[in-house]
Amino acid sequence: MSRCYLAWAKDERIREKGADGGFVTATLVSALETGFIDAALVVEKKSVYEGIPVLTSNPEVVKECAGSLHAAPINLTKYVVEYAAEKRIGLPTKPCDARGIIEQAKRRQVNLDNIFMIGLNCGGTLHPLRMREMAADLYGLDPDSVVKEEIKEGKIFLESKEAGGKEKEAGIKIDELEQKGYGRRDACKSCVTKIPTSSDLACGNWGVPKGEEKKTFVEVLTAKGEAILKNAIDSGYVCIEEAPGEGIEMRKKIDAGMRKLAESWKERMDAVNALSRSERFDFYVNALKNCIHCGACKDVCPVCACEKDAKCLDMNDERDSYAISMYNVLRIFHLMDSCIHCGQCEDVCPVDIPLTLIQRRFSERMQRHLGYTPGMSVDEKPPLYETELRWSAESMVK
Amino acid sequence: MVKRLAEEKWEPKILAFCCNWCSYAGADAAGMERRQLPPAIRVIRVMCSGRIDPAFVLMGLLEGADAVLVTGCHIGDCHYVNANNKTRNRYEFLKEFVDELGLEPDRLWLRWISASEGALFADMVREVTEKIKKIGPSPLRRDWKK
Ligand SMILES: Cc1cc2nc3c(=O)[nH]c(=O)nc-3n(C[C@H](O)[C@H](O)[C@H](O)COP(=O)(O)OP(=O)(O)OC[C@H]3O[C@@H](n4cnc5c(N)ncnc54)[C@H](O)[C@@H]3O)c2cc1C
Ligand code: SF4
Ligand code: SF4
Ligand code: SF4
Ligand code: FES
Repeated sequence: MSRCYLAWAKDERIREKGADGGFVTATLVSALETGFIDAALVVEKKSVYEGIPVLTSNPEVVKECAGSLHAAPINLTKYVVEYAAEKRIGLPTKPCDARGIIEQAKRRQVNLDNIFMIGLNCGGTLHPLRMREMAADLYGLDPDSVVKEEIKEGKIFLESKEAGGKEKEAGIKIDELEQKGYGRRDACKSCVTKIPTSSDLACGNWGVPKGEEKKTFVEVLTAKGEAILKNAIDSGYVCIEEAPGEGIEMRKKIDAGMRKLAESWKERMDAVNALSRSERFDFYVNALKNCIHCGACKDVCPVCACEKDAKCLDMNDERDSYAISMYNVLRIFHLMDSCIHCGQCEDVCPVDIPLTLIQRRFSERMQRHLGYTPGMSVDEKPPLYETELRWSAESMVK
Repeated sequence: MVKRLAEEKWEPKILAFCCNWCSYAGADAAGMERRQLPPAIRVIRVMCSGRIDPAFVLMGLLEGADAVLVTGCHIGDCHYVNANNKTRNRYEFLKEFVDELGLEPDRLWLRWISASEGALFADMVREVTEKIKKIGPSPLRRDWKK
């Protein structure tokens, strides 16, 4: 199925506004105008530090939302479940959006036949607060004056309009930023799915040859992806050409490099690795005892499908005074097979519990043990729900 | 006079979930055969090991059990077709969880025991009690420090 193209929007304005060639925007616009989809879910820029999801059937709104927001670490999964489960929709999906949607489909919260996932490669997002600190500390800019951010050739560029009307642009290497403790979110630094292979299309700038800017590299991954692409071409919204072999190779190489980097971040950031068994126990108890049971981490989690009738809520009682609350124990336990390490839970936690690390440590070892990666294929059920073990049974029983 | 907890001698508390048809009957058989069982054990009877939600096991540990035993009919003998296969699947998750949390792996046990295996039941309880006496109270217990 997999075929690779370079593609771009025919409409010059979309192409100009789009992050790479406006292909994603043009495809969504054409699907809306031809009635191929009922609605599109895109991300509207409020400022450099804020992007909000909008569900719309107005092509003009979609055009307004062209471009990539790197400091808007949202996950679109729960918006699809809550507002668009009955609709035929198209949306841009970072790898973690696509994996979340697949997990919801496994739990019968959405019907994948109605969802067209235009995947975006993802090098990672920045936490808005870190981004503001970074602008002030390292770029010497007033955070509120920053009007544009861009990631190019491994550097983050910030463009600001200072009060006097003077324009400034500065770029600093991501490696350098991250050495100093700024840069991408922890979850993204250690995220190993950079190309959204569980989407219908995978789009990005990796693999676009030098000198060919304003084109999007597109990989067709499913029949649905092919259908929405064909619709966009036939209705005259996008142009495509065969991707050059060197581009395909280049993309593969960058992806492999990024994944290797992520593995090394994982090692470097995991403070628990060096601890003994009892120290590890103390770490978990101390980290989780700050929880105020606001429930935010559960609400945003793209793989949890329990809504209000959840065991972790039902079985939790503030009066228990367990060393770790039933809520936390059950959330960690239930996600061992399904956590996709997206870091949404940590982003919203009001008491800054290092949830990404905790969820990752428990789930990664389980997923390795199971030989299972969540969010990749709707045909693989969550192993915790299975009757049979995924591996040869006899060797496992004590 | 009320005795303070800290003055008492620590005795392990072991929670055993037993399925009605096999392992509970096995425990019964152990009693009928007048086998000595350490007093550490507390049995909770469930209709089938498939009814043992991992949440029960985790709550048992949080409540301060020094070890939790999950027991049921042998694979193939479950009275509800194949529910103990699910038990076996969930147990793998519990094992990884307990290990990662920093509890000793010996605080969690899975054993298949039939109605006639009273001796096996008694042996298991003795074995677990001895192991737990060696590793001491669970760090999740608030009334005992190691
Ligand atoms: C956070 C982020 C990191 C990325 N990192 C890489 C990378 O490392 N390598 C690479 O090859 N490509 C990366 N991309 C993809 C790339 O920036 C372009 O989005 C892609 O090439 C498509 O270009 P386009 O012009 O066709 O898209 P456009 O026509 O500009 O459409 C982009 C769509 O993405 C939506 N969007 C913007 N921000 C977000 C967000 N934070 N979350 C979800 N949707 C959003 C917009 O609403 C719009 O609908 C990244 C994208 C994002 C959002
Ligand atoms: S977790 Fe991965 S896919 Fe999600 S935003 Fe971060 S890098 Fe992108
Ligand atoms: S537990 Fe946290 S990191 Fe894991 S999938 Fe849910 S929100 Fe993402
Ligand atoms: S977001 Fe943080 S404080 Fe709120 S329930 Fe989750 S872990 Fe607890
Ligand atoms: S009836 Fe005994 S394990 Fe199911």
